[in-house]
Amino acid sequence: MKKKMQPWLFLIPVLLVLLLLFGYPLINSVIMAFQNYKLTQPDNIYFTGFENFMKLFGDSDSLMIIKNSIIYVVVSVIGQSLLGLILAVALKKQFRGRGLYQSIVFLPWAFSGFVVGLIFRWSFNGEYGVLNDILMKLGLINGKLAWLGTPGLSLAVIIIAMIWMGIPFFAIMILAALQSIPTDVYEAADVDGCGTIRQFFQITLPYIKPTLITTILLRTIWIFNSFDLIVIITAGGPANSSQTLPAYMYSKAFGTYDFGFAAALGVALMIILALYALIFLKVTKYDKAGDF
Amino acid sequence: MSRKTKNAIGNVIRILVLVFFFLLVVLPIYWMVSTSLKTSQEILDIGNLTYFPNEITFENYSDLFQQYDYGLLLRNSLLVSVSSALVITLMSMLGGYSLARYKFRGKQSVILFFLVTQMIPGILVIIPLYIVFSKLGLINTHVGLFIYYVAVNLPFCVMTMRSFFERIPVTLEEAAAMDGCTKTQSLFKIVFPIMFPGIISVFVFGFIGAWNELIAGSIFISTPGMWTIPVGLKTLIGKYNVEWGLLMAGGVMALLPTAIMFAAMQKFIVEGMTAGAVKE
Repeated sequence: MKKKMQPWLFLIPVLLVLLLLFGYPLINSVIMAFQNYKLTQPDNIYFTGFENFMKLFGDSDSLMIIKNSIIYVVVSVIGQSLLGLILAVALKKQFRGRGLYQSIVFLPWAFSGFVVGLIFRWSFNGEYGVLNDILMKLGLINGKLAWLGTPGLSLAVIIIAMIWMGIPFFAIMILAALQSIPTDVYEAADVDGCGTIRQFFQITLPYIKPTLITTILLRTIWIFNSFDLIVIITAGGPANSSQTLPAYMYSKAFGTYDFGFAAALGVALMIILALYALIFLKVTKYDKAGDF
Repeated sequence: MSRKTKNAIGNVIRILVLVFFFLLVVLPIYWMVSTSLKTSQEILDIGNLTYFPNEITFENYSDLFQQYDYGLLLRNSLLVSVSSALVITLMSMLGGYSLARYKFRGKQSVILFFLVTQMIPGILVIIPLYIVFSKLGLINTHVGLFIYYVAVNLPFCVMTMRSFFERIPVTLEEAAAMDGCTKTQSLFKIVFPIMFPGIISVFVFGFIGAWNELIAGSIFISTPGMWTIPVGLKTLIGKYNVEWGLLMAGGVMALLPTAIMFAAMQKFIVEGMTAGAVKE
């Protein structure tokens, strides 16, 4: 009996913290989503059924924000994973100074979205930004672009910053997977006259597929949920054109203190993410992602 | 094409790729550092952008400490980050050991629960916590922020710690038990010393998670004296004019501790991040 309880005894502190700080708030949020819950009217809290959810569809910006979220996530994930893959392949072979090189190139992983946001906001500044200066000197643009003040471009800047920040994570994961491939597989392929490109598609990719899938799955969710870059670079502007769902939820909750509506948004997000995870795992026939 | 020329071409491409990524990472960082060393006249000199500061000045850094009390922000950030990282490390050692060494019913559910916590939009947790914290008087305290940082960074750290435990052969512990060591003795005298780098990297994960966080910090804390670095620096972004030299100096100062930690621990941190993912 005592032996059976041992693993749980070790886990109790962790589980207690997580249940209290994730479980309880989550249940609370779901209840709030069906309430008229405004922090400005603390004595006027009552159930409203699906009213908060209906507001979601009534909001004129909703469609644009959903579109933004999809563009932001898809482009960021594709950019990060492709560039991360290229970097990892280049790093596979040992060379002198590789440790030092990695310490520098993987640095953005340890950076905060807050500081990365500042760097990119400053570099893309319309008047004093270094990027406009470079592009003009190269003759690629004629006048200064208002990157952060133009709908479409402002979202692009956020995506570029997000890709920059996320390359190391993908590179680290993929590199580890590459290094676990036994070298004799390549030697055998060489003997059989199989070229470099074919080796990549027929040996390398299948070997790293499980890692790629887990990493993409987790990163997609993480990128979708993270919005400190947006808060810092554009604050969602101009006119909500670079807003994503979680960023919008944040501005609704703490701009208007309409917690009921924000909670409804959050519950909708959770459902979308759960569906995404299910579909992704089904499509890729990968059921081990629980082991992250 | 002969094998030799093929290899040579491959090497050239590889070097070009490595140089590209080096510049991609270093140039934005250089731009931040170089801006932080310029005077505000030089920064705002339209049409005359300098790629290297005309004269190097540390005025922005001294202003940061003297006018904006950066020392206080630093102290607050250190307090919250170190304390939450310590508690996370201890809890992860317990939880990670349990998940690595025992087979028990419900283990998969626990792991799934950890995964689910990673999918929850942070703000969905923050909103109800804000209400609870206000009732408990934890708004505007470091305790509230500390509790939140422990919770959000815990699942990943437990899973990482588990994979570090899994690399240490059970036979070591069994041999220690044969020699008459109690469980506690074998843990403290054999297992923990071997996985010391793992323990340190989990601490670094916890530290960086708290150190870099902006959103919860700015929601839970509004008293200037209690601000952490990101929250305090964010207020420097005014509506109309932004003090870029000051902000970039603040950015450099905010990155230094994490960058040094990462550079020093790169090998172990990378191992920690990948251990769980690569294992089949």
